[in-house]
Amino acid sequence: MDSFDDYALTAAVFLPLAGAIAMLLVPRDAEGTHKLLALATSVATLGVGGYLLANFDYDRAGDMQFGIDKPWIEVINSRYIVGIDGISLPLLILSMAIVVLVILYSWTHFPEPHNPKAFLILILILEAGMNGTFVAQDLILFFVFFEVVLLPMYFMIGVWGGENRQYAAIKFFLFTLFGSALMILSFLALFFLVQEANGGEGTFAIPDLIRLASDNITRDTQLLIFGGMFMGFAIKVPMFPFHTWLPDAHTQAPTQGSVILAAILLKLGTYGFIRIAIPILPDAAVEWAPWIGGLAVIGIIYGALGCLAQSDMKRLIAFSSVAHMGYVMLGIATLTDFGLNAAVFGMVAHGLITGMLFFVAGSVKERFHTLELARLGGLLKQAPRMGWILGFCAMASLGLPGLAGFWGEFPAILAAYNPAEGLSEELFRGYMVVAAIGTVFAAGYLLWMLQRAAFGEPKAEWDAVRISDMHWNEYAAWVPLLVFIVVLGVYPNLIFGLTDDAVRTAVSALGR
Amino acid sequence: MLHLLAQAEPFRSPTVDFHAFAPEIVLSVSIVVVLLVDLVFDERGKWATSSIAGIGLLAALVPVLTLAVDGADRSLFDGAYVVDNFALVMKALFLLSGYVTILISARYIAEGDYYEGEYYFMLLCSLLGMLVMGSARDLISIFVALELLSIPAYLLAGWRKRDLRGNEASLKYYLLGVFAAAVMLYGMSLIFGVTGSTILTEIGAALDGGEAPAPIVVVGILFIVIGFAFKVSAVPFHTWAPDTYEGAPTPITAYLSVASKAAGFVALLQLVFIGFLGRSDVWGPLFWVLAAITMTVGNLIALRQTNIVRMLAYSSVAQAGFMLAPFAVAGDIDVDRGGPLAAIPPVVTYLLIYAAMNLGAFAVVMVVARKTRSGELSSYGGLFEYAPGLAVLMTVFIFALAGIPPLGGWLAKFVVFRALLDAGTPAAIVLAVIAAVNSVISLFYYASVAREMWMRPVPDGDRAPIRIPASLGSALALAAAFTLLFGVSNVATRFGDLAIFGFLP
Amino acid sequence: MDVDATWYLVLSALLFTIGGAGVLVRRNPLVMFMCVELMLNAVNISFVTFARMLNDTGGQVVVFFVLVVAAAEVVVGLGIIVAILRRQPGADADDISLLRG
Repeated sequence: MDSFDDYALTAAVFLPLAGAIAMLLVPRDAEGTHKLLALATSVATLGVGGYLLANFDYDRAGDMQFGIDKPWIEVINSRYIVGIDGISLPLLILSMAIVVLVILYSWTHFPEPHNPKAFLILILILEAGMNGTFVAQDLILFFVFFEVVLLPMYFMIGVWGGENRQYAAIKFFLFTLFGSALMILSFLALFFLVQEANGGEGTFAIPDLIRLASDNITRDTQLLIFGGMFMGFAIKVPMFPFHTWLPDAHTQAPTQGSVILAAILLKLGTYGFIRIAIPILPDAAVEWAPWIGGLAVIGIIYGALGCLAQSDMKRLIAFSSVAHMGYVMLGIATLTDFGLNAAVFGMVAHGLITGMLFFVAGSVKERFHTLELARLGGLLKQAPRMGWILGFCAMASLGLPGLAGFWGEFPAILAAYNPAEGLSEELFRGYMVVAAIGTVFAAGYLLWMLQRAAFGEPKAEWDAVRISDMHWNEYAAWVPLLVFIVVLGVYPNLIFGLTDDAVRTAVSALGR
Repeated sequence: MLHLLAQAEPFRSPTVDFHAFAPEIVLSVSIVVVLLVDLVFDERGKWATSSIAGIGLLAALVPVLTLAVDGADRSLFDGAYVVDNFALVMKALFLLSGYVTILISARYIAEGDYYEGEYYFMLLCSLLGMLVMGSARDLISIFVALELLSIPAYLLAGWRKRDLRGNEASLKYYLLGVFAAAVMLYGMSLIFGVTGSTILTEIGAALDGGEAPAPIVVVGILFIVIGFAFKVSAVPFHTWAPDTYEGAPTPITAYLSVASKAAGFVALLQLVFIGFLGRSDVWGPLFWVLAAITMTVGNLIALRQTNIVRMLAYSSVAQAGFMLAPFAVAGDIDVDRGGPLAAIPPVVTYLLIYAAMNLGAFAVVMVVARKTRSGELSSYGGLFEYAPGLAVLMTVFIFALAGIPPLGGWLAKFVVFRALLDAGTPAAIVLAVIAAVNSVISLFYYASVAREMWMRPVPDGDRAPIRIPASLGSALALAAAFTLLFGVSNVATRFGDLAIFGFLP
Repeated sequence: MDVDATWYLVLSALLFTIGGAGVLVRRNPLVMFMCVELMLNAVNISFVTFARMLNDTGGQVVVFFVLVVAAAEVVVGLGIIVAILRRQPGADADDISLLRG
């Protein structure tokens, strides 16, 4: 099966699309077939992921593996280059796994207006876009996949979302697209500016650009180009001033949409920083890092304060996302291998934990038809198992040692103590203090949420309503996530061991 | 007497390369057949005309292919008529978009109270004009081709002759069309006067030499470009377009906004890049202004439209602005990056992609109008609920027009941006910024169509599914296939690169 | 009398301007239409003059094409105008405004 190595990544990206096309051909009434087809496709994709895990050369985690390089759009010298290293692999597997779980969860939880066919097809297209983004090693290919996720999410929020869905959908769409427009301009600028150094022909290949860009572009231009990429990625993350689309999108999106959005889509932005912006333009990254770090810690505090002001559980979790992504961005801003390791770990952990929180919120909403914290309470009495899971996730989210969340936050804070060469130590130590205070806030709002939703006596209005506890498919979707939250918590090296080499390669350009 | 004449000047037959003419000949034959069939058969036999017209167009594609395989550039009549790769790519585009037009016309014309045989006769004549335009490298043949493609189009625009809107559409198109033709002709007379030739390559050589008096050249170029600005509906010469598009039968609207506009661009490409190549100082700024205001005004007015046909009309005005942009910076492109001629492939690529996505959008409009009998945007409410397939297709076409990857349109916009940044002058970068802002503005109205289809309730609660006739279905499938193919492959850019002129001064 | 070629060109330019102004100013479709004819004839004069100056028959050939095409245009244009006037007697360009420009 040596030859499958060449096609494994392509299969990981295009299998979901093939499944989506197959589903298009099945009539809409055959809901059972659609569910099975979608599940089979996503499981097969995850199977490819398993193959990748099994055949990945862990001793060379810093190098691109399973790579292929084929001509694609020759006029602009854009090539179909895919490959994964230790940074991409965990995120790719996370994306594949989350999709399987989301489809399992969907089995009996289709939001109005139902229509499983369209809903599942959108999820599969999303998966193709997300997987593609994580494996692409050519800027145009990356850009195309980055945009592929836009439309399915737009429709998922806009069609299956809550009352205010149209506003939320268009806001999400326009914010992201605005960032993309600046991002593609930056990519084009890179293409032209390395033209001479690359023997007269521009290139979009990330490895070539890493080699050529920083030596052949003037410093001021590098700063501008980095700024364009920053806008594109920061909106997706989202970082502090650009985050306003996130609470709306999360609140209005259906549960499945929220889970995918939180668990994976947000990671596309941070992944972009680590994969593209920093390695290609390390000098500009050093100049920008203090600003990024500053916005990151503002995001941490702002997100936490935002949480305390929320009366809606989903909106609260959304704001907590802003805070958590702040830790990830702080880790990235330190530009050290330690910080970047923490950032990648934080991405995975946030994907697992916040994805889980949104699952629980979705199930609560389904039972109570509201997420108003003032009307909830006593979940532990009404549905004890779900209540305990909510508690567990809240603990994981606030960074309890022994659970995954800890390894995302704590090393990021530590990394800020000793940022990369060229960055102001005083400034970053200041950031460290602020970020550490942020963890206290995080404990505050998460426990506050838990207390209002799960503890105490159920409100009188629910006396006549029968609240069921967990269903089989909720177990099926949640247990793997819970297991991994614990496993990564006690054995973080599972991720760190993978990312360390790759991260070193990514920051190696900084020393030059 | 006769034999005396023959002795004086021995008769030499001009050598005519019939292979080079084969597409036009095949199309002319099918025009005659359509006319005869229409004459001979009674009402029940008229349906055959549409099939014959369609087959005729596909048959004309065969010699285009054989010429392409043959590969040699052919020049006839002292360079007045040239068959090169550029001509072949454009002819293929005209024939295919003509074929799709016939596919979407078939049911519309047969079911409405329209003259059927004459309709296809006119359509084929207009397409013949376009085929000639693809090869016309001389002021006279450009003029004749322009009129051959325009005059039938004036009539087609007013084909709904009992409808005042149809009449108005036709009259506006006609008056502005002949006015523009007159302006263009006057420009041509001036250019002829200062260069002494009607052949574009000779004009190019004469203008490049710089002997021609400047003011007359400037006025001549200005008038010719303005004449074609009407044809491609560039602002401020676009006023006919929305009215004509709304009043004309929808298949003709699709035809005008795709094939007719493409023909205008073909003429502009030939005139500017063969005839006026050396005078980019004159036409560069002119195109800059045209491109900037065309995309901006088109988009801003499109935002306010509530009728989908008018919205698509203004969107096509805005798209024309994008196609004009590479002209504006052509003179600034370095020789080592291909020189001014490097501005041609982006325009051709854009035309190809635009044809696929715009024809598709109009085909959906036609299918939906069969049920709702309306072109209002609000009649698209809830389309996704009762006709999910159509809603998905429309979404594909609309977001392709908006330029969202991986659907076709993004590549079209991308090559234009690339040409602008390739030139790299401050003016080019300002134009690129204007274009980028416009891409974002256009999203608002494109997304509003998607919102209507996916997120709004059905307006009158009528959820009966829409039946798609076979001909319309195949048109939709063709357009969708090309829109997706162009987006994820290099097919369109390949053809764009292929389209180079064979004989340059 | 010996008339300089310039005068022919001036005449042509004047006729063209009058025609163009007529199209833009007048509202009666028939008059607008005649003004376009005036512009086309200005073009013809210009072409013939240049052809004489340059001693090149090409310009005179153009005139024949313009004449023929103009005749075709007349037929089509009159057809359209007649179709409109039948439904709306006495209409001018301002009356024909069902469609908002």
